[in-house]
Amino acid sequence: MIKIPYFSALSTYFSFGLLFVFGHVRDFFRKIFDFFHSSNLQVLLFFCFNKISFASGSCRFWHNSALNASVLCVNDPDCFGRPISSAPDVWFDIVHRYSNDNNKTMRRTSKVTRCLNLGSYNYLGFAAADEYCTPRVIETLNRFSPSTCSPRVDGGTTTLHKELEESVANFVGKPAAIVFGMGYATNAATLPVLIGKGGLIISDSLNHSSIINGARGSGATIRVFQHNTPSHLEEVLRQHIAEGQPRTHRPWKKIVVLVEGIYSMEGELCKLPEIVAVCKKYKAYVYLDEAHSIGAVGQTGKGVCELLGVDTADVDVMMGTFTKSFGSCGGYIAGSKELIQYLKYTSPAHLYATSISPPAAQQIISSIKVILGEDGSGRGAEKLARIRENSNFFRSELQKMGFEVIGDYDSPVISIMLYNPAKIPAFSRECLKQNVAVVMSAFPAVPLLLSRARICISACHTKEDLLKALEVISQVGDLIGIKYSLAGSNKQHQEQGPKKLD
Amino acid sequence: MYVKAEPATDLNKNTEWFTYPGVWTTYLLIVFMSWLLVLSIFGCSAGMAWTIVHLCHFAVTYHFFHWKKGTPFADDQGIYNGLTWWEQIENGKQLTRNRKFLTVVPVVLHLMIGELWYLIGSHTTNYQNPMLFFITLAVFVLVVAKFPHMHKVRIFGINADH
Repeated sequence: MIKIPYFSALSTYFSFGLLFVFGHVRDFFRKIFDFFHSSNLQVLLFFCFNKISFASGSCRFWHNSALNASVLCVNDPDCFGRPISSAPDVWFDIVHRYSNDNNKTMRRTSKVTRCLNLGSYNYLGFAAADEYCTPRVIETLNRFSPSTCSPRVDGGTTTLHKELEESVANFVGKPAAIVFGMGYATNAATLPVLIGKGGLIISDSLNHSSIINGARGSGATIRVFQHNTPSHLEEVLRQHIAEGQPRTHRPWKKIVVLVEGIYSMEGELCKLPEIVAVCKKYKAYVYLDEAHSIGAVGQTGKGVCELLGVDTADVDVMMGTFTKSFGSCGGYIAGSKELIQYLKYTSPAHLYATSISPPAAQQIISSIKVILGEDGSGRGAEKLARIRENSNFFRSELQKMGFEVIGDYDSPVISIMLYNPAKIPAFSRECLKQNVAVVMSAFPAVPLLLSRARICISACHTKEDLLKALEVISQVGDLIGIKYSLAGSNKQHQEQGPKKLD
Repeated sequence: MYVKAEPATDLNKNTEWFTYPGVWTTYLLIVFMSWLLVLSIFGCSAGMAWTIVHLCHFAVTYHFFHWKKGTPFADDQGIYNGLTWWEQIENGKQLTRNRKFLTVVPVVLHLMIGELWYLIGSHTTNYQNPMLFFITLAVFVLVVAKFPHMHKVRIFGINADH
């Protein structure tokens, strides 16, 4: 449960209101000037401006009530989309950009700065060259070529793909698995195939947009339950099972509940045991998206099922991506043999989309071997222990400093709440000045009031890196004024002040 | 003082921000601040300032709540394209607390102006009645637009989809 200081809530609303008004005024004048300058009423579709010095993050507005689609784009380009020129390891090179027209367009220079990476989903450190994985990937690249140039059913199934699917199924703990070239497409192309009109989808309110996209594409009735609240899920299930389909009131053909293992913006773990119990009671299917949790949590890295003690046979469809912990790209679906066979016949991502690139597949196979310890060293277990330690250390230190931090214990995703839109670019820029790179999230990716800075901890972050990051974040936090917990809670915290770290 | 921010079950990003705490206070504060602004810019009487605020409030809220349709977000895939903001909030559920609050605000503004005008009515007789007529018309339009019976109703096809 996130608690906001009331004044922050009011000032955040006011800031967004002001931005909105500015945008509309600008839009209005732009329409008038264009009317005089152009012969027809075709308005430019995209224009970004940043005369407002405290502009918020990616906040885009389209008005589609009229024929003209005028886009009001308030953008803070120097905080988003920063090009990097090295592998996204713990320390990476950020390219300097400058702007001659008040941040309307940014130009790259050839100057780079080495910065500490707190934003990449590099949970186990496979993002950069690895002593086991990289030689094998290069060998595969030489043998197979970078792309299969074909969908799976045509000519894109190599021995690697077969090996990968077996390896993934074995790792996740399910009888069979199918692998796709893109993580987003895995959700977006699988959900429409699994459920259709006449079915009911109940999805967590903070699900990723790929899940929402897939759910909307399926044509089923979608209902949302309050984030991570099994009691509300039960209430929604009961109400809808009793009512039946919308107009005909016939029983639902299928009910699927969509949840995620770790929610990427909050860092919260799903209450999987309770949700699975509710679904079993009402005979609904469970679809678990483990994009951020597979390989990163659990004793041996097998995800939230292992961490929370849920039998994998109880979760009907397990989905995940390889971009986070495995340092590759693509996604998978794991389930029973019949389910996977069905997906191979019907999923458009399998039938028409190019299959996963062979070097990427080899990276996944090798990294799974490292995690399981099959490469003969104990590096996998070491990485898992380190990411757990790092995340817990970082989170507890941030909380001691007085930041409003959300995310569960053991989760490698840590969100520092900022609330005010003005603080977003401030935090980003101040951190960059001190060579720490962080990722910011603002509306509409997160709720309006709850803008945040999201930190992803890696197993390769050393203690010195984390201490440096903490020091920088503490200084910036003092400068910007985001140590909300210090201000509100007991006086003892205030008297101690930010602790000196040794 | 802290308030709880529970994530809403509303998937519509255009309207879900309205369910968080602090919105009502912000709304009322903006109205109050604009009254002060009008007073300081025009230097008119309190009643006149309230009238100006009321009429601007009518124009702004009518335009954004009952005229503009759809959402600013493309990834909604156009499912709200035929609905005004008023019809979208809280998934179309009628008579919720938020809706009742928003219906009451123009009425309260109207009453405040009425009170002020009647108080100073004995001194100034020139321009009361026409103003009161416009204000009453504004309130009437706003309140009728918010009735549950007017959900998705387009009178004479004004503002209907094409």
